[in-house]
Amino acid sequence: MGRMTFVIRRLLMLVPVAVGVTIIVFFMIHLIPGDPAATILGIRATPRAIAILHQQWGLNRPLISQYWLFMDRLLHGNLGQSLYYGTPAVGIILGRLSATIWLLVYAALLAILISVPLAMIAASRKDAVRDQVVRAVPLLGLGMPPFWLAILLIYAFAIKFQLFPVSGFGSGFGGHLRSMFLPSLTVALALAPVVIRSLRASMLNVLGAEYITTARSKGVPPGRLFVRHVLRNAVIPAVTVLGINIGFLVGNTVIIENVFAIPGIGQLMINSIFARDFPVVQGVTLVFGIMVVLVNLLADVAYAALDPRVRFER
Amino acid sequence: MTQRTNPLKALIAVGALGVLAACGSSGSTSAGSTSGKAVYGGDLVIARTADSQSMNATTVFDNESIWIFEQIFQPLYTVSNDGKGVIPWLATGYTVSADKKTYTFTLRPGVRFSTGQPMTSADVKFSIDQNRKATQGWAYLDTAIASVDAPTASTVVIHLKYPWAPLLADISLFANGIVPNNYGGQTESQFYQHPVGTGPFKWDYWHKGSALKLVRNPYYWQKGKPYLNSVTWTDVPNDNTRELQLKGGQAQIDEFPAWSTVGSLKTTPGVTMNLFNSTRTDYLAFNEQRKPFQDVHVRRAISLAVNRAALVKAVLFGNGTPANSFMPPQVPYYQQATSGLQYDMAAAKQEMAASSVPHGFTTTILVSSGFSDQLTIATILQSEFKPLGIKLNIQQLDPNTANTDQQSLKYDMTLTYWTMDIPDPDELVTFSVDPKSGAKSFFTDYNNPQVVKDAHLAEETLSTSSRQSLYNYIQDHAASDAFMAFLYYSPYAYATTSNVHGFFVTPLGNYHMENVWMSK
Repeated sequence: MGRMTFVIRRLLMLVPVAVGVTIIVFFMIHLIPGDPAATILGIRATPRAIAILHQQWGLNRPLISQYWLFMDRLLHGNLGQSLYYGTPAVGIILGRLSATIWLLVYAALLAILISVPLAMIAASRKDAVRDQVVRAVPLLGLGMPPFWLAILLIYAFAIKFQLFPVSGFGSGFGGHLRSMFLPSLTVALALAPVVIRSLRASMLNVLGAEYITTARSKGVPPGRLFVRHVLRNAVIPAVTVLGINIGFLVGNTVIIENVFAIPGIGQLMINSIFARDFPVVQGVTLVFGIMVVLVNLLADVAYAALDPRVRFER
Repeated sequence: MTQRTNPLKALIAVGALGVLAACGSSGSTSAGSTSGKAVYGGDLVIARTADSQSMNATTVFDNESIWIFEQIFQPLYTVSNDGKGVIPWLATGYTVSADKKTYTFTLRPGVRFSTGQPMTSADVKFSIDQNRKATQGWAYLDTAIASVDAPTASTVVIHLKYPWAPLLADISLFANGIVPNNYGGQTESQFYQHPVGTGPFKWDYWHKGSALKLVRNPYYWQKGKPYLNSVTWTDVPNDNTRELQLKGGQAQIDEFPAWSTVGSLKTTPGVTMNLFNSTRTDYLAFNEQRKPFQDVHVRRAISLAVNRAALVKAVLFGNGTPANSFMPPQVPYYQQATSGLQYDMAAAKQEMAASSVPHGFTTTILVSSGFSDQLTIATILQSEFKPLGIKLNIQQLDPNTANTDQQSLKYDMTLTYWTMDIPDPDELVTFSVDPKSGAKSFFTDYNNPQVVKDAHLAEETLSTSSRQSLYNYIQDHAASDAFMAFLYYSPYAYATTSNVHGFFVTPLGNYHMENVWMSK
């Protein structure tokens, strides 16, 4: 199977995934207790006011009829109106998507920039002091709760040295780059130990291979040996590890978004669940599902690009 | 040529990326403290706990929306700084007919909308009529109004169905704020996407879930105001982050810092910690549809067993006072002498002995998850009720479900609170004690027919002394009936950088950003 065919097939798989997500999320969010009218009306929610809102929103219809209406709208690219804001859910979600994508991409980039050199340092001399240090120290990032690590970074780099804003998304490319550095670093520091360990183990494995011995005997300089022969072959398992972890992170950005006041879809998801803003919850979950599939697809494509022996199978 | 690759170079790249990112834009300056003559300019940022819901003043109940559109829409009268009266705002005065059913308001000359269009009586009539139509919104506060006329461009006449004591207080409600007649030719929905008013600031943008910005209205009627170029409300739900933004100079006002941090913020250089008098009152509500809460002795026993001073210390870190009435001290007709039940375990045991459950019972308190204050209170109450033989289970539900269950009276006991919307007790009193008001007596089903009768009599009683007598009676009986245990009154906490001046919050929670300025 060619690469394009593989990608198209995987993209087509999005359809059943999306439908499955809509069914599960729609019925789960509608079946749990709670009422969006209670959020909108607060303590002044009289039975009459609640009934008026239910009628306005169509929540007095049978659940199955509400689902069909949702699917009908979805097929026309319309997620419906946010019950909380009273504006189209699509606009709200798209307005928040860029911040989450920034966070994920920036964090992945920083995780790679941290992990690759550290793994190379560790693997360059197995069981030496540097290897032990590289294996041990990054675990702090994994062990520390993200909100705690985030506050430490804010105190150090935003309050003490004032290099970065305390929080927020910033505006413009430069503003985003600056504002998102600390949140992305927080995520990257949690991701890096896993990637470092995977990469180090792969590198040690590759370093023991016969073709590396051959390359060494031919006088290939250590630097070129590491980059051209060791890293390229060792990075493949790490790509998988990174892909899985980023996929996992997609649904777990909410803590970072909360601490750094980033207007992303993780925070939107939590607020919308609390408000029982059904159309937004359904929309965000759909976006999360699509993002996870796309990240995994990207990892598979990258895997094949790095290793020509890999063939796309059904 | 051989090339030597150093893995440390890649690490340096990370650092370089950080430095590059750090150079993206300049940092904010920290606050300095000066006072004196007001300074023009500046873009002030308020870090707030949650996003707004909508700018439709007639249908929205959340404070995070109200505090924004109060900078855009203004009513004919507004709340005085002590929260107990009204002062002329877009009107300069009024006359009232002999039968007290017709009020004629004279409009302030020279008032313009932020579009430059002059405000006329047609705009006022349209605005009040719109609020009266908002049946799922604030229309219930305008029910005494029969009609609104605009006989001349500068005169508005309000005809009442019956004499109505809280009229001026109701007129001062944000929902009766003035918008252009017929929404300036737009639909209601279009208008509230980019609202226009006579207030000191006008609409700039709203990035939902992130920030909402208003900019100076050049046509504002108060000469020389506002001082600020703009005000931006940013959504920062995390308490720590709001505080750090304040300290880092990214925000100038921190809305509602955590009570645990108020003490340290008071001594933080460059920060001013403000505790404004408020009308917030917290209650422990009893569901009288469930046994044994129909029994007044049970309610009284529980109310007497609550150590309010301990709650104030544990929850508010001392920044509050025990409540003696369901009406807070900042409300007109509050009676300081109301003998609301206070902590007295011996008296509580006597009440319990006289009740239908003298040996105690098992019950549940419903609290909203994620609200640590509520869990703290519930845990304290658990131990305080033990001497009465009451086994208190704590049920934590997510806030939405907890609200829904409270409003459907699916609870035994729950925690709730109130803040005033108008400078008159009418709204709170009818909401709290009238089981037919729609809110079923604050969702307790409490019913004392004489109290209900007096509550409605007070609405049509214009004599201040007679109203005071009626509200005294209501407060005394509500206290002795213990339909809720009145827990405590707490202030509004706002931390500002020290260069922020003129920021004041009324007991109703309103603030006038036109008075705020920032020193250099």
